[in-house]
Amino acid sequence: MKNGKTSVIGVLIATVILIVIIVVSNWGNEKMSFIQNGVSLITIPIQNAFAFVKDKINNNDQEISDIDSLKNENKELRDENTKLKEAERELEVLKSENNTLKDYLNLKNKYADYSTIPAYIVERTYSNYDKIVIINVGSKDGIDINMPVISESGLVGHVISVTENSAKVQTIIDTASTVSSTISTADESILVKGTISNNEQLKASSIPANATVLQGDAVVTSGLGGIYPKGILIGTIKEIVNTKNQTDRYANIQTATNFNTLQTVLVLTAK
Amino acid sequence: MNKSIKGILIIVLLFIIIYFLQINFFSWFNISGVMPNLFVILVLFIGLFVGNKLGGVFGLAIGIILDITFGRTVGVTGVLLAIIGLIGEYFDKNFSKDNRMMIILVSIACTILFEVGMYIFKFATLKIDIDIPAFAITLLIENLFNSLLIIIFYTGIKKIGYYLEDTFKGRKLLTRYF
Repeated sequence: MKNGKTSVIGVLIATVILIVIIVVSNWGNEKMSFIQNGVSLITIPIQNAFAFVKDKINNNDQEISDIDSLKNENKELRDENTKLKEAERELEVLKSENNTLKDYLNLKNKYADYSTIPAYIVERTYSNYDKIVIINVGSKDGIDINMPVISESGLVGHVISVTENSAKVQTIIDTASTVSSTISTADESILVKGTISNNEQLKASSIPANATVLQGDAVVTSGLGGIYPKGILIGTIKEIVNTKNQTDRYANIQTATNFNTLQTVLVLTAK
Repeated sequence: MNKSIKGILIIVLLFIIIYFLQINFFSWFNISGVMPNLFVILVLFIGLFVGNKLGGVFGLAIGIILDITFGRTVGVTGVLLAIIGLIGEYFDKNFSKDNRMMIILVSIACTILFEVGMYIFKFATLKIDIDIPAFAITLLIENLFNSLLIIIFYTGIKKIGYYLEDTFKGRKLLTRYF
């Protein structure tokens, strides 16, 4: 009996710990609104109680005289509410479709010089060490290996394998990815690689000793390497890490594409 | 329905549930972007309760499916998961499955074996830059996540496990108390 109780307590503690860790680890910009929500959750009932007491004192509370009419009114309001909810759901579906179509249109306009095939990310890898995504277009749509994939914001990666209806895309944040790039303020090529630890950060190495690299500089593809066309935005320099040896210095790049929320992409094909 | 076929169907169903949890649910329910590795736990669970033969076969099959779906090459995930399935029975013979801590420690050992194996393979074939601190931190969080999930779902895991053990090995539930 005691063991059973201990086991239940253990499971409860582990569940609470897991949820707390996940919530805390995913605190981002919403941190403040989360705190505000928590505070309002406590304060609003108290405020309501005060308001109720105040109304009572001022004799502002209304007498309930006709319960039947209120019941009818309540039923009508409930029906109306159900209809409104249905309409809202339909609107949400339309809004989502509209956003997807807008995304496709924006992307197509931005890369008008290339032939493009729009695609949707249908699966993401299960591994913490690989950053591969599966898109819903394949060889029957004209997709081939090594075709570059972009988002509205910038470079996503390239196709590494294709089936008839889907394709695997190795993203630029994968540790096996290396992209030849240039910094907007310099002509020299640098190498941009993915990292394990961060889904929104890349590491730029092989920065020439004489190159002036500044925080906020845009990093774009150099066109070297045969996969990516020249000039696709990769991200911006977030931090420059200087080492004793000037040739070993590297920079952290904030990716232009938000890989955590990425859903719509375009595959660039030869025109 | 034949008992063994029913047991295999249960394992297949578990794989399907775990697949969708891993790919969809844990892609957002994660700790600083780090997901647990439920496939390692599933294969270890098969090896522990069902035996090394089915553990190895299911490990290989699950690994090949994952390689075909997400991998660059087919085979390495299958081989590593098959090894975990095979050594599961060794752990069963030497340690008690009724001990939650033992299951956690074995799962940590197997997760480390799997991820280090995958990392070395990736380094050897793709010439990636080795980043040991980042790898170790990710592995630590992954193991923490796996351990918490085992603590939470241990009772369910054990129930299904003993049912499968009874199905494939013909043991009765009470035998573990002797």
